[in-house]
Amino acid sequence: MSTNFPIGWVLRASTVGFAVGCRLLQPNTPHFGDLVKVALQPDEIDIFGLIYDVQVKDDPAVRQLILAGEMEPEAIMDQRENRLVPIEISVLVVGYQQNGFMIQGLPPQPPLSLNIIMVSDEADLRTFTENLDYLRLILNARQIPVDELLVANIRRATFAHPPEQQYAFLLKVGRELARLLNHDLVRLEGILRRIKPVVSR
Amino acid sequence: MINQNLNELDQFFPRAATRQLGMVISGSLSKGVEVKLFPEAPVESIAVGRYIVIEGLQLQFFGMITDVTLDNTNPQFEKTPPDVSDPFLREVYASSSTFGRLHVSPMLVLDDKNEEPRPVKTVPSHFSLVRLATEEDVNLVFGQEDETHFHIGEPLDMEDVRVHLDLTRMVERSVGVFGKSGTGKSFLTRLLLAGVIQRHAAVALIFDMHNDYGWEIQSEGHYKVKGLKQLFPQQVAIFTIDEESSLRRRVRPDFVVKLNWTEIQPEDLETLRTTLDLSDNMIGTAYTLRRSWGDKWIRKLLTAEKYELDELVENSSINRSSLDALSRRLERLERFEFLQENWAGDSAKKIIEYIDKGTSVVLEFGRYGNSLEAYILVANYLTRRIHQMYVERVERALGDAAHEPRQLMIVIEEAHKFLDPQVARQTIFGIIARELRKYNVTLLVVDQRPSGIDEEVMSQIGTRVTALLDNERDLNAVFMGVSGANALREVLARLDTKQQALIMGHAVPMPVVIQTRLYDSDFYAAMGFQEPEELRGTRNDRVTMMRGAVEEGID
Repeated sequence: MSTNFPIGWVLRASTVGFAVGCRLLQPNTPHFGDLVKVALQPDEIDIFGLIYDVQVKDDPAVRQLILAGEMEPEAIMDQRENRLVPIEISVLVVGYQQNGFMIQGLPPQPPLSLNIIMVSDEADLRTFTENLDYLRLILNARQIPVDELLVANIRRATFAHPPEQQYAFLLKVGRELARLLNHDLVRLEGILRRIKPVVSR
Repeated sequence: MINQNLNELDQFFPRAATRQLGMVISGSLSKGVEVKLFPEAPVESIAVGRYIVIEGLQLQFFGMITDVTLDNTNPQFEKTPPDVSDPFLREVYASSSTFGRLHVSPMLVLDDKNEEPRPVKTVPSHFSLVRLATEEDVNLVFGQEDETHFHIGEPLDMEDVRVHLDLTRMVERSVGVFGKSGTGKSFLTRLLLAGVIQRHAAVALIFDMHNDYGWEIQSEGHYKVKGLKQLFPQQVAIFTIDEESSLRRRVRPDFVVKLNWTEIQPEDLETLRTTLDLSDNMIGTAYTLRRSWGDKWIRKLLTAEKYELDELVENSSINRSSLDALSRRLERLERFEFLQENWAGDSAKKIIEYIDKGTSVVLEFGRYGNSLEAYILVANYLTRRIHQMYVERVERALGDAAHEPRQLMIVIEEAHKFLDPQVARQTIFGIIARELRKYNVTLLVVDQRPSGIDEEVMSQIGTRVTALLDNERDLNAVFMGVSGANALREVLARLDTKQQALIMGHAVPMPVVIQTRLYDSDFYAAMGFQEPEELRGTRNDRVTMMRGAVEEGID
């Protein structure tokens, strides 16, 4: 992942999160925990969010095919590429960039329908994770798999760093998590075990 | 590349920021300040007794680390410690959820307006940064060596920084040197006395129980160290009450002290109350005997026939059993050869003569050093006489400082025997300790049981030099009346058994733990001592200079 590229369009949105519709999934993206961004024109605000759910919803054609029983590979391929209902990706808003400043918090306005969603590249990910205030936003989110999202995002962010900086980055994240989850040591240990480097330093 | 160079430079010349230890998180003026250590400052590298500087918003506070503790952000860590077998998890916990905590006693305030450090009267604000004190900080507090400031040692872990005692202030009030047996009390005392004598801060009268101060001394490391007379031959005289012992040790005493039986007064027996096991009745009997028989009462009591004693008992209020008991106890004094019947000299006057000339006197006890009765008797008698003469002189000189006698410092060992609460109020040493500098006489007490010394006397001791002590009562006694004492107790109880001491009080701006200066050839040289070979060399050089070099060859 070296450049930003589009994955879909905004289906519906609120300040805390939005849903993205796309025609089909690319082989490698989007992934659970990826950082995505929406550029709002003309305010020049870029809203950043994390993918926490991808839903492939059924449609009448799929139901009929299933009821028909045996399926030809061509029929399956056709169904996947020419869906009647878009694949829906849920995004948790974790920050925005305005006038060159990165702010980890909720944006003043949500994105609008059919705004294009881009998957952030490694440079964006490194810039965004220089500050770790967004971890608190994730931990406070409701009705989403918070711990899984944290682990997935931290792993992605770690690999966006050069190998010699990865341990220091993980240590910084670990310390911040230890501060935020001081009241729940069991949960903290569970997360730390899953983000720990395969070979320390 | 540039970054790499900067890092290398930092290794050799650490910047101020790299020495930062932590930040102030709580505290009070009376109990000290709590500092949370930064993860980068490993707790094992911090030792109690080290100096730190707290950078407050307006003031800089100079203080001492008095305790190091471990703390955490959640008590659950103590009950169910996390799995730290993984180095990453361990590092995360160690650098965030658990941390070291310092207890710091702020001692002085340094600010830009006043160059002199001032006593601390407030505390630094929350989150003030804390760093280890640099050599410049410590030098600013303890000053430079000069006429009155004497180098006594170095602060712990700061070999290039010197701690200086203000000798003038030290001798103004009584001084205590305390420490367990074998912690180097005599060595510390010798250092202090060398400073006092070299800088002419006072004249000392040293009651040298174990021949530790005058002439060559065998140290515990079985090597010989020089006594005060060897270092300052013109300023120190050796007196002895046991000439044989002195000569055996090849010491040529300046004077042999003897006492006449008539000089021992009932007042002197008061100090011997515990040592000789004398009751109130016996002391009362002694006073009655002196009234009846005059100055020769002891000899008369010891040589009296039975009928003479019967007659005395009949004609006075003396109780016979007390009289017999007193007689039995005083018989113990007969073995002291320095007590003589026909001695016509005046040892106290002789000592005063030397003191008047500015010569310090070391009174050696020789074999009597092991007899506490002899030590107490002689020290008490001589001090009583000398103090009396001093009081008279000071009173005569009132208003004319030029005629006042020299500042005198009397050194006694096993001080609790002179100053225990039962006798301290009556004995001359108790009086001197309480009178302070009024009559230009102060005490330097050397003791291993400060808890045995009367509280009132302890409270008058201006400077306390304390080597390792671990008895609870002794620690209480040493810290009586010292603010922030609880914090300093931890420091004192963890001193090394050798060459470390805590100095607090009048002679230093703040309590300081020192690695004492070595008493070696460098010290001798600093005191102006020259080996005979050096002196000979110097003389030959002078002769050669005057006469010119000897010409060689054939005329």
